[in-house]
Amino acid sequence: MTGPTQLDTADRAAGTPTGWKARLRRHLVWIVIGSIMALTVGYVVVSRLASGPDDRALSPRNPAPGGAMAAAEILGGQGVSITEAGSFEQAISALEARDGAATVLLYDRNGYLGEGQLRELRAEADRIVVISPGRRTLRGLASSLRNAGVVPEGHNVLEPECGLEDPLAAGSISAGNGQLYAGSGTICYRVDDGGLYAVSGDGRVVVIGSSALLSNDLLDEHGNAALVLRSLGGSEELLWYLPGLGDVPQDRNPATLDELAAPWVAFLGPWLVVVAFLAVLWRGRRLGPLVFEPLPVVVKAAETAEGRARLYQDSRAVERAAANLRAGTMVRLARVFRLGPDAGIDSLVEAVARKTGRPPAQLRDILDHRPETQSGLVQWAQTLEQLEQEASTP
Amino acid sequence: MAITGRLVLLAAAALVPMLLFPSWGTAGLLCAALLLLAVGDALLAASPRRLVLERRQPANVTLHAGTESHLLLTNNNNRTLRAMVRDAWQPSAGALDPVRKLTVPPGERRRMTVRLVPVRRGDLTAPHVTVRSFGPLGLAARQRTLPVPGSLRVLPPFHSKRHLPSKLRKLRELDGKAAVQIRGAGTEFDSLRDYVRGDDVRSIDWRATARRTAVVVRTWRPERDRRVVIVLDTSRTAAARIDDEPRLDTGIEAALLLAMLAERGGDRVDFLAFDRRVRGRVDSASKGSLLGRLVQAMAPLEAELIEMDWGQVPAQVRAVSAHRSLVVLVTSLDGGSPEEDLIPTVAQLAQLHVVVVAAVRDPLLGAMTAERTTASQVFRAAAAERALLDRTAVAAHLKQLGAEVVDAEPLDLPPKLADAYIRLKAAGRL
Repeated sequence: MTGPTQLDTADRAAGTPTGWKARLRRHLVWIVIGSIMALTVGYVVVSRLASGPDDRALSPRNPAPGGAMAAAEILGGQGVSITEAGSFEQAISALEARDGAATVLLYDRNGYLGEGQLRELRAEADRIVVISPGRRTLRGLASSLRNAGVVPEGHNVLEPECGLEDPLAAGSISAGNGQLYAGSGTICYRVDDGGLYAVSGDGRVVVIGSSALLSNDLLDEHGNAALVLRSLGGSEELLWYLPGLGDVPQDRNPATLDELAAPWVAFLGPWLVVVAFLAVLWRGRRLGPLVFEPLPVVVKAAETAEGRARLYQDSRAVERAAANLRAGTMVRLARVFRLGPDAGIDSLVEAVARKTGRPPAQLRDILDHRPETQSGLVQWAQTLEQLEQEASTP
Repeated sequence: MAITGRLVLLAAAALVPMLLFPSWGTAGLLCAALLLLAVGDALLAASPRRLVLERRQPANVTLHAGTESHLLLTNNNNRTLRAMVRDAWQPSAGALDPVRKLTVPPGERRRMTVRLVPVRRGDLTAPHVTVRSFGPLGLAARQRTLPVPGSLRVLPPFHSKRHLPSKLRKLRELDGKAAVQIRGAGTEFDSLRDYVRGDDVRSIDWRATARRTAVVVRTWRPERDRRVVIVLDTSRTAAARIDDEPRLDTGIEAALLLAMLAERGGDRVDFLAFDRRVRGRVDSASKGSLLGRLVQAMAPLEAELIEMDWGQVPAQVRAVSAHRSLVVLVTSLDGGSPEEDLIPTVAQLAQLHVVVVAAVRDPLLGAMTAERTTASQVFRAAAAERALLDRTAVAAHLKQLGAEVVDAEPLDLPPKLADAYIRLKAAGRL
């Protein structure tokens, strides 16, 4: 029991710093690693926040390949005034202010808007250009149209193949990653039974099946620009509306688990906690304090030899190791042949040669050999052991 | 205060009314009921404070031999004591059933017996007894730890006892009491007897032969009443474990065998355990059985983590015996710097006494020299060779000073030390 306190005082006497300095030194590595992590995370967050005003796909202020800044700039240059709507309420109020006399660009990639909202939007707007709508979006806007799959592989460029003015003027367009639509309206750029460009029967909803047509990346290829600009530039006003998470209608939430559960469920958990707490008290109470056992020191006696071996190995002391092995073997052989502790190598070689029948020159070579590398040392040590066994077997 | 599994079960059962009438009122009512039951039950339990505890156990036991410790509980309460009692022995006492359920009616006494199989030599203690007294419903209990100190001395096992008969026979052969009579063992003149063929002609007593018609030879017998001083090193080197036994315990075994043998050989044995001060001492002059006194003195010995003060050893030996004696140093050959401590001490002692140095050799070193397959094994072999060479050098130096060196592996040390004693006695060097 006195052991630890002695060690403690010895520690302190050796000048080990105490308090926060020692703690700082002990945890220095973790502190450094932690600060590097924190700095990295901070940099990423800040750079994300500061990376341009807008990086949404098809945003009119996004100059990246996936944005639509080029189309917006051209339209603006042609005298179309572009209004950007940040939310559904803004879009509706903007339309009401213009009395519906505006074209709406709707790109609802994730299907945030509900059917009711879409119907309201359609009722308010004169003309809606919707870019690759999903099934729900399409049902809300133009129930006469339906999805007809994607453009199959191999169709990179499509021709108008219909009588509408805009497609005919635009000519061929690129079709990569496009979606096809079919239904009772006018279908252009046909592949099989669907088309990349569809107009509803009343002409108020235009469906363009590929967001790539509008993107900065592909706007200048084929007739993409012409089709897009003609579709969007039909009126003086263009309402650019990209729905976000904030537009998800609130009334779609189902009832919560709390409302569905029976009244007693609310008490089940807390009471089980009480029972568990009692169980902890029951099992956690110890039957009296612990009794100290003064533990003995457990040091293997060969520990010093092992430590010395590691020192030899770390400093690659091949020469010294070889000298030890040689001396050990020679002392033991001298004892076997009863040559006395002062026997020289000559008398030893003579005695061993007589016993084993090996030539004395070879024995002298083995005993006198000075290995220089570790592999040489291993080999020589084994030879030495073999020789010793040979010489000491009666 | 402690609660039991029954209270937990009761709380779990209270889930039924809780769920049938789910409201905060029910919850509060049930909590209050549980609390009331638990507190009331604990209040109705017999008070552990009014118990009288008494401990009875044997004073000594040999290591690994079982014994029994008795605890007497007298209930001075007016209520029956239903309790869980824990007799808190330290772990190495090897208590097999230290926790027991007891029922003691008021005013009566019960005995609790704990079986102990100690696994360590030394003084083992049991500082206290903990009593957890349950209430009549068994829902809650009062718990108290009462100080009832107890202690048990565990004596060294003396495994080397098995070598004693053969060594004693050897000793008796020297003495001339055994069937084989050896002439000339020892230096003290014993008697004259007739010459038989085979006797050394140098031992013929010509004067006695002249007086009689037959040829007469002298016989000697070994000296008696010589002093044997055993010095056991209890410094830090004694803590090292060799073959999973501390060097100190091997030394104790060797010292016990030697002491028993020397006592039977008619010599006087003194024992001294020493590092920087005397840790244990047995005088040849005092009464009682030598073995009993030795094991009593050896039982509490522990290796101290300090350096041996060899400079004091000659003075200590002189204090025990001022005359020529056999001084046996049970120590190690590889601790610290033998050139500065062990060797000068032996040189000083050897001027007056016959000195035997007994040391334990680690069999692991021999095994390490034989493994030479990888580079790290060869370096280990080289380091082990170095350690063995150092030991050999120290042993050779000690022999030059006239001391006997017994350097053996743990199991061999006691018989080898006994052999060295017999050899010295036979040569009449005591």
